[in-house]
Amino acid sequence: MKDIKKLIEEKHDSVRSLFEKGGKFEKWYPLFEAQDTFALTPPDTTKGMTHVRDAVDLKRVMFTVVVALIPCLLWGMFNAGSMYYQHSGLETNLFATMFRGAWIVMPIVLVSYIAGGIWEVAFAVIRKHEINEGFLVTGLLFPLTLPPTIALWQVAVGISFGVVVGKEVFGGTGFNILNPALTARAYLFFAHAKDMTGEVWAAAKDGATGATPLGLGASFGGEGLNVTDALADRGFTFGSMLWGLEPGSIGETSAIAVLIGAAILIISGVGSWRIMAGGCAGLAAAGVLMNLLPAEVMFEGEMVKATTWTNIPFFYHFVMGSFLFGIVFMATDPVSAAATNTGKWIYGVLIGVVTVLVRVLNPGFPEGVMLAILFMNVMAPMIDYYVVQAHIKNRNANLRKFTYAKG
Amino acid sequence: MSADFTITKGLNLPMLGAPGTNVRSLSAKGTISVFPSEFQKLKFKSLVEEGSKVTRGGKLARRKDLDGFFVCSPVSGTVKAVNLGERRSLKEIVIEPDGSDAAESFQSFTVDGVLRAKSENVLAVLLESGLLGLIHQRPFDRIANPADKPKSIFVNGMATAPFRPDAHVLAEGKADAVQLALNALTLFTDGPVHLCLSADAKEKKDALTEAANVQVNYFNGPHPAGNTSTHIHTLDPVIPGDVVWTLRVSDLILIGELLSTGTYPNRKRIMVAGEGLKEEARGYVDVDLGMSLADVLAETQEEGEQRIIRGDTLAGATANPADTGIFLYDQGFVALPEDKERHLMGWYTPALDQYSAHKVAPSNWLKDKLFSFGTNLRGGHRAMVLTGIYDPYVTLDILVDPLVRACLAGETEDAIAMGILESEPEDYALCTFVCPSKTDFGKIISDALDLIEQEGF
Repeated sequence: MKDIKKLIEEKHDSVRSLFEKGGKFEKWYPLFEAQDTFALTPPDTTKGMTHVRDAVDLKRVMFTVVVALIPCLLWGMFNAGSMYYQHSGLETNLFATMFRGAWIVMPIVLVSYIAGGIWEVAFAVIRKHEINEGFLVTGLLFPLTLPPTIALWQVAVGISFGVVVGKEVFGGTGFNILNPALTARAYLFFAHAKDMTGEVWAAAKDGATGATPLGLGASFGGEGLNVTDALADRGFTFGSMLWGLEPGSIGETSAIAVLIGAAILIISGVGSWRIMAGGCAGLAAAGVLMNLLPAEVMFEGEMVKATTWTNIPFFYHFVMGSFLFGIVFMATDPVSAAATNTGKWIYGVLIGVVTVLVRVLNPGFPEGVMLAILFMNVMAPMIDYYVVQAHIKNRNANLRKFTYAKG
Repeated sequence: MSADFTITKGLNLPMLGAPGTNVRSLSAKGTISVFPSEFQKLKFKSLVEEGSKVTRGGKLARRKDLDGFFVCSPVSGTVKAVNLGERRSLKEIVIEPDGSDAAESFQSFTVDGVLRAKSENVLAVLLESGLLGLIHQRPFDRIANPADKPKSIFVNGMATAPFRPDAHVLAEGKADAVQLALNALTLFTDGPVHLCLSADAKEKKDALTEAANVQVNYFNGPHPAGNTSTHIHTLDPVIPGDVVWTLRVSDLILIGELLSTGTYPNRKRIMVAGEGLKEEARGYVDVDLGMSLADVLAETQEEGEQRIIRGDTLAGATANPADTGIFLYDQGFVALPEDKERHLMGWYTPALDQYSAHKVAPSNWLKDKLFSFGTNLRGGHRAMVLTGIYDPYVTLDILVDPLVRACLAGETEDAIAMGILESEPEDYALCTFVCPSKTDFGKIISDALDLIEQEGF
């Protein structure tokens, strides 16, 4: 190891001057810096009044999120492969399923990383700043929100939109209002709706289509059955949706895989448990509230169904669709979420509530979590504003108490 | 009178190189230097030139913006050089000691007598000798203005930052000086004089724990429980418009010695610590005021390049021992190894030998282990991404993220409403320490405070 390190250090130092100010490739310094600090930690020392620093840097933080996404990625591959064989009717085994799944999923991930990476480097070079590690996460999050049937050119267009419009036009990492990965997905969702919505999920094989549980739920007509029975009829029980061997976007089908990721984020302290807990509480509360609504209402003398699935048990909301994936990986993006800790609770709860509102009461979209998070991204600064104002008020009251108490 | 307080927020850095309790004694070998430049932001005019004779306590320079405030010589001798710094500011006056005991005499007081003295008389002595420069004033942490009447006075006798000197070691054998200075402080305010000590010292019986005429407060908890801002916030918060005075036990001792003897102090006890020093050298040293720092640290440093920090590792200034000496205000120096070593895939390896306050780093899970801290940045500067992680390190009822945003945007009114005037840059040192984006909070806060001071409020 010592030798490898020495070798890399020497090689890098031998070309460093080419990339530094006045060098031949001065423009490409961000690229060199990214590679250099990827291989070896920087030799920089502290300046200013604080002379020691914590061992953790942003690379480790972002890499932890990538690690937390790996269970979802692996399950996504397995699921895609298993859907392929299920619809093709061919014999398979674990290895073949995994291989087929990887064959379907990896190109999507690679295209996302490459297309997004090009933009990331381009902006770093133009703006002369470091390449931000946040893209390691964005570039993986985005493909996991796509159906495996997505065309590769759509992936490239989507991530380009996400990085450029979702992030760079605001000034780059740290300044964006919306989560870039979710912006990219929203773009595809509206621009290429027929390839994205839950109802027409082709299982990576021409001709075969299968609806996602959410798609089923949304189009459920209520013919004599209640919604859980209708789902069970098509093979979707709570247990099966928990495991997630079903049609859906690559990373979101398995609640178990997402929960493993959530555990990694919470234990390592990288993801905000407040947002996750708030989101789950909001979803459950809104789900219960929906159950209390009457399923049918009197309209012009006739009993009419109010909505299709108000009476689905609230815990079904957790395993159906992308809610868990969204609240664990997307809503916790610290840049676009509320910044104050109180604000994070409010932000999380409202995401849960809005998700249920879109799912149950909105006839247009089967899934609500993406819109809920984007909506709350926009609202986050306002939440923070009110939290700060409340804090200032509280603070001043405390200070005044002090003055009076002393007389 | 005493009271107890427990601080729950904060963090103690498990740093190797803590000072022992051994005390050595050193004397100046060559010249003595006086540094008017130690009073930052103040302008001085030299009253001496090369060849002038001065006595101990003799006036060397006067403050341009405040009549009657002088910088005095701690030794009798001949001025050898008057060195100017940036923009012709008065940086250093070098004096060749002549070995005589000739000394100016200031008005002196007895421990009890000072209680009946007029505050103007005591203040006049502090002003004329320049020791008023040891008393600071909040907000903005500038030198106390003798025209202001503080609502209370805070004396800091704690050492939670790595590393500050233990006030009880500094005060050994100085019981009279300490009590006299505390008595003198009671003249300057109608409110209380707060002496803040560590709860660990409660069982000790010394000049500090048994101090009379003042309110003794014991603080328990991790750093920044020992920061003056924490004490003020807990006991008597600064509301815009208020003035409080602050000083430390090391300042108290110098003031007490001057007031009791009537002669200008020439010795002080300082701490030297840190991993960059040999183990037997870490401890306390009695030194001459103005002696060369290089002489103080001679033959104490470990091999390799060391950074000498004036103050502590969280809130200190880099000092070059070759061209600086012991300031009036100094209470300790820390030596840290300059760490420029690069680690292969350091963001990925467990790095068990590097401390982290974050659970994401495996080293955080090792409890009760002391770590070696170098001066490495441990990463690269990035945009600030994580939020809400700084609040557990600030004790002042301040939301750090919104405050920093307001400061960066130059929104001084918002920053004041959020409580910036209660704080000093050092209160955010732990935020700087833990920030994964390696943001320098101290700089952001101090720039904002400067802006507020300029603009007025």
